[in-house]
Amino acid sequence: MRTLVIRSIAAVGAAALLTLGTACSNEREGSTGSDSAEGKGFAKDSLIGVALPAKTSENWVLAGDLFTDGLKDSGFKADVQYAGASTTVADQQAQISSMVTKGAKVIVIGATDASQLATQVKQAKDEGATVIAYDRLITNTPDVDYYIAFDNFKVGQLQGQALIDGMKAKKPKGPWTIELFSGSPDDNNSKVFFDGAMEVLKPLIDKGDIVVGSGQTDIKQTATQGWKAENAQQRMDSLLTSAYGGKKTLDGVLSPNDTLARAILTSVKGAGKPVPVVTGQDSEVESVKSIMAGEQYSTINKDTRKLVAETVNMVKALQKGDKPTINDTKSYDNGKKVVPSFLLPPVIVTKENAAEAYANDPKLAALTK
Amino acid sequence: MTPTAPTLLEMRSITKTFPGVTALADVSLVVREGEIHAICGENGAGKSTLMKVLSGVHPHGSYTGDIVYRGEQVRFHDIRASEQAGIAIIHQELALVPGMSITENLFLGNEPRRRGAIDWKTAQRRALELMARVGLREDPDTLIKDIGVGKQQLVEIAKAFAKDVKLLILDEPTAALNEHDSQHLLDLLRGFRERGITSIIISHKLNEIEAVADTITILRDGRTIESLDVRADGVNEDRIVRGMVGRELDSRFPDRTPDIGEIFFEVRDWTVRHPSSDERMVCKGSTFHVRRGEIVGFAGLMGAGRTELAMSLFGRSYGTWLSGRVFKDGEEVRLKTVSDAIRHGLAYVSEDRKSIGLNLLDDIKTSMVAAKLSKIARRRVIDPVREHRIAEEYRQSLRIKTPSVDEGVVKLSGGNQQKVVLAKWMFTDPDLLILDEPTRGIDVGAKFEIYGIIQRLVAQGKGVVVISSELPELIGLCDRIYTVFEGTITGDVARGDADPELLMKQMTATKKSPTP
Amino acid sequence: MSRITDLQKNLFGGTTSNARQFGMISTLVAIVLLFQIWTDGLTLTSGNLIAVVSQYSYILILAIGMLMVIVAGHIDLSVGSVAAFTGIVVAKAMQEYDLPWPLGIALGLLVGAAIGAWQGFWVAYIGVPAFIVTLAGMLLFRGGNQYIGNADTVPVPEGFRKIGAGFLPEVGPDTGYNNLTLLLGVAACAGVLWREWQARQTRREMKADLAPLWVTGIRLAVMFGVIVFATLRFAGGRIGTSLPISGIILIVLVLAYSHYTRNTIGGRHIYAVGGNARAAELSGVKLKRVNFLVMMNMSVLAALAGMIFVARSSASGPQDGLSWELDAIAAVFIGGAAVSGGLGTVSGSIVGGLVMALLNNGLQLEGVGSDMVQIIKGLVLLLAVAFDVYNKSQGRFSVIGALTRPFRRDDPAAPAPPAAPNSDVDKAGVAG
Repeated sequence: MRTLVIRSIAAVGAAALLTLGTACSNEREGSTGSDSAEGKGFAKDSLIGVALPAKTSENWVLAGDLFTDGLKDSGFKADVQYAGASTTVADQQAQISSMVTKGAKVIVIGATDASQLATQVKQAKDEGATVIAYDRLITNTPDVDYYIAFDNFKVGQLQGQALIDGMKAKKPKGPWTIELFSGSPDDNNSKVFFDGAMEVLKPLIDKGDIVVGSGQTDIKQTATQGWKAENAQQRMDSLLTSAYGGKKTLDGVLSPNDTLARAILTSVKGAGKPVPVVTGQDSEVESVKSIMAGEQYSTINKDTRKLVAETVNMVKALQKGDKPTINDTKSYDNGKKVVPSFLLPPVIVTKENAAEAYANDPKLAALTK
Repeated sequence: MTPTAPTLLEMRSITKTFPGVTALADVSLVVREGEIHAICGENGAGKSTLMKVLSGVHPHGSYTGDIVYRGEQVRFHDIRASEQAGIAIIHQELALVPGMSITENLFLGNEPRRRGAIDWKTAQRRALELMARVGLREDPDTLIKDIGVGKQQLVEIAKAFAKDVKLLILDEPTAALNEHDSQHLLDLLRGFRERGITSIIISHKLNEIEAVADTITILRDGRTIESLDVRADGVNEDRIVRGMVGRELDSRFPDRTPDIGEIFFEVRDWTVRHPSSDERMVCKGSTFHVRRGEIVGFAGLMGAGRTELAMSLFGRSYGTWLSGRVFKDGEEVRLKTVSDAIRHGLAYVSEDRKSIGLNLLDDIKTSMVAAKLSKIARRRVIDPVREHRIAEEYRQSLRIKTPSVDEGVVKLSGGNQQKVVLAKWMFTDPDLLILDEPTRGIDVGAKFEIYGIIQRLVAQGKGVVVISSELPELIGLCDRIYTVFEGTITGDVARGDADPELLMKQMTATKKSPTP
Repeated sequence: MSRITDLQKNLFGGTTSNARQFGMISTLVAIVLLFQIWTDGLTLTSGNLIAVVSQYSYILILAIGMLMVIVAGHIDLSVGSVAAFTGIVVAKAMQEYDLPWPLGIALGLLVGAAIGAWQGFWVAYIGVPAFIVTLAGMLLFRGGNQYIGNADTVPVPEGFRKIGAGFLPEVGPDTGYNNLTLLLGVAACAGVLWREWQARQTRREMKADLAPLWVTGIRLAVMFGVIVFATLRFAGGRIGTSLPISGIILIVLVLAYSHYTRNTIGGRHIYAVGGNARAAELSGVKLKRVNFLVMMNMSVLAALAGMIFVARSSASGPQDGLSWELDAIAAVFIGGAAVSGGLGTVSGSIVGGLVMALLNNGLQLEGVGSDMVQIIKGLVLLLAVAFDVYNKSQGRFSVIGALTRPFRRDDPAAPAPPAAPNSDVDKAGVAG
């Protein structure tokens, strides 16, 4: 009893002394942000931080694994973190702070909410780290250095085109009835996908060849909060009840990704309606299976391997002090600056070209046989 | 029944002690087969404790003495054991689930099963049988909450029959019943007697006991006083009362010369409705007064409405106020909230220290100042020095046995806790203190000290109202005693006239002494 | 025993401190030391300490209000939603109506007060359990956030961001440190000294035993050490960073609410209501008013926390405030509050919150994934409370139970005695 108390007091005292001892080291220094790693490079075994959203889709899990391996293979120390499932934004903020504290030279961020990271990105920048926005553009801050992603406007266009092609194949003559879905409103990409798709669909809607059954064409109406399947499924359920009573059928659904596409299909099947043409994105295993089974119509192959590989290349270039490759310096304005970007071309995949598209991916290739 | 009927139950030399208190001392009870046996005694005489010993609530080993039941010595370790032996006890507070039907309640925990599921068909049929035995005509699917208290009581008894009862114990069965329901219940007991079922009945209603009982055992202060054969001994109510209270008043009270001033507190026509029942009045036109320097007692049986009267006066803390006025020093005062009451110099020391008198998480000093924090605060900030000093003063003047006023109140004995509560209310500097059962659960020594405190308070010109179920206490302590029966003040007895038999009669409203 | 309790009492601030807190402080120190070693000294760097304060200040602010709610015997599940709702209202008002940011803050506090009044009304005056009222509030205000914000993210102006992402400015000569933070440190030392002297005065007036001077000396030395260290760390961060504004808000709130709960009539009433509502009512405590104010206060603090988070995130988003209520509640219980109400302290809750925060931070620095972090935090919560419950049920003395005995409030050694029919009953109590 007594010894315990005394020991506790001793511990407190020791802690005080220890901390006092280290207190002399002052970290005070100016901001190094402006003359960051770029141009000078950094040590080959530096720490690279990768902050990704919660593990809500297989893609992020795969990306995380690829980053861990890719960075390690290139000689870096990797710190790959996912945001927690419930406290996503706050978690990611804390994780980025921790990476800065640990002295990461480059921080790759797949943002949970792309507009709520300004403070952490500034902190990173001030401590001399280079910030790469991965897949989602971080907005409202001048402190993002690069953006790397698949060309998402292109993704949207491909989805729109695939929807039209698919419906034509099933029913050569219009008018076709469709419903529109878009992604989470806090994800900057949602709007880009949607705008891309609408660029293709809008002329046909205006002509009357395509009818949106519910009349919901505004992105605020079509949004799927948090990219959550359950939200898409709920919306589809209520659309079917409200706009597709009786014998009305649905020819196609624009879905921004595979998870939502499957949720939409589940809902339609649940309502006993014929399966419409549904688009997708991300080439998730279940969706590829669905495509091969003739249910989901299309997906987009944004080869995560390629994107991660390009990101790692970017990191390697920064390490050597070189300028990383970019191919777009105009399109991506985040509200504070135009972020230099490197865009990869996406590929549309349907049942016809699946085998060819997934030839490099052992897991998916197996499904296409 | 014949006087020579065989003995069903014999309890021999039962002694049961609680820490600091001997609840039963060498009590014996003999119950013959097929009789109705009444147990009488004042509050605190040990009746319920005796029944708890019998039914295994106080398990074998926690008391000394033997129980012989149906010719065998029995040792019940819990209620289940006594139930299996056919002893069923029906408490004052009914143990029914209000939201379940009669059938469900009858077989709760004892459901007839068939292949793992409850066999509702059988349950229904048996429920009807049981209900018929107790004369209850209701749809067995009726929910308990939808039938009256009287019928609920019948369900409780029927439940006992579901378990094949040999000996039925009823603790104050008619306390909550109206005249008609009470009569029905008593008839039912007579019917059971015809069928050879033995009953033990505990009741304060002496007229009922006289009417229905074959044998009466009287307990007083945890001892058996006598056992009377109603017919052979020609027992009447007076005889029972004498047995119940017939002890000498010992010198358990400090000396005091009353110095009584003028009337300063008056209540007129105070009528309060029960909080949940529209028809029940807990106070019916009560009118009383207290003089300065006077100790006024309120005598009554449990449930007579004394506590309800006190609490409704104290900031309308009980029931719904209907009418009545309060005058203090000749002027009418409105006591709508507890703060009003405290501001006008009232203090109420509750009957139940632990559940409503104290915050058991508090330490002594915090408890003592809790009812008037403004007295130790400057601009709403509490001054710890004053708090501590005041607590120390009370600790010394009330002789509270504790090493420090920083101790938690839970660690004090009942008597010392009561002193803390008294200190709490003395600290509000009241003119009128209402003490509800101030010595309940307290040993003799502490009682004496508390009487002393009460006497010191009135010597300062305050008025004190004491509510107590112990008649000797009231007679020894009070200058005047009001008796209360079912919400009505039935008597106003001056010190010189107060004797237990008179009080008991007024408390039970047996004004015309029945002459058999 | 008595020597140890005396020593402990002397070292940790007499009756106002308590051993549960002492245990938690030891745990906190242990966690800090563990991670300090594990992360090669990263935990106690200026940068990290500053980050931790700004990351968790809003949770700690919630914990203050939650402590009072829990002490009063309630719970508030709506704090995260209220924070998010306030955040979006304030952000929108500033974005669309060009409301100046100081008015934005005032608006936010008003929104919090209004929501609090709404919830307090149902809890106190209608008598709906707070669990239900705030569960409804959780849905209501989360929906309100999305309705107003269209589930979109709304940026806030630069000035407003100061309350979440701002620091004490750099003024005066170049001392190599942030001068204002240094001044604060000096003020804190002076405050500690003054309080110590006050405490000795009080004890002298009570004629209580005075601690020997050397004990006071040790205690002061330890406290000065901690303050000096913290001051130098916070003042010695990268230029432009120092003690975060949100940290200052937190410190002010902690001091104010500690004083309120411990030393004022209003504070006493909260404990009285939580300890035994009926007894409190019969002692003249205005039960309804206390319940109302406690619920209302919680929502105001939630609004403040929401605004600080929005300021730090530079935008109000649809995911703000998700599961904050759980963090705040966990902090309060780790800090020694009782589920049944009536027990707990503000400082205990802050220590509990810091334990969670540093655990979180240390694990993140170690690169432990958020999945494991959640598992570990869950276990810590369970074990902290279970340890206490176990010790209580054993009835024998333990570090916490034994040490706590002489102190008021946090008295786990004294569980409410079960209503056992034979515990302390006399003849009257058991008889018909």
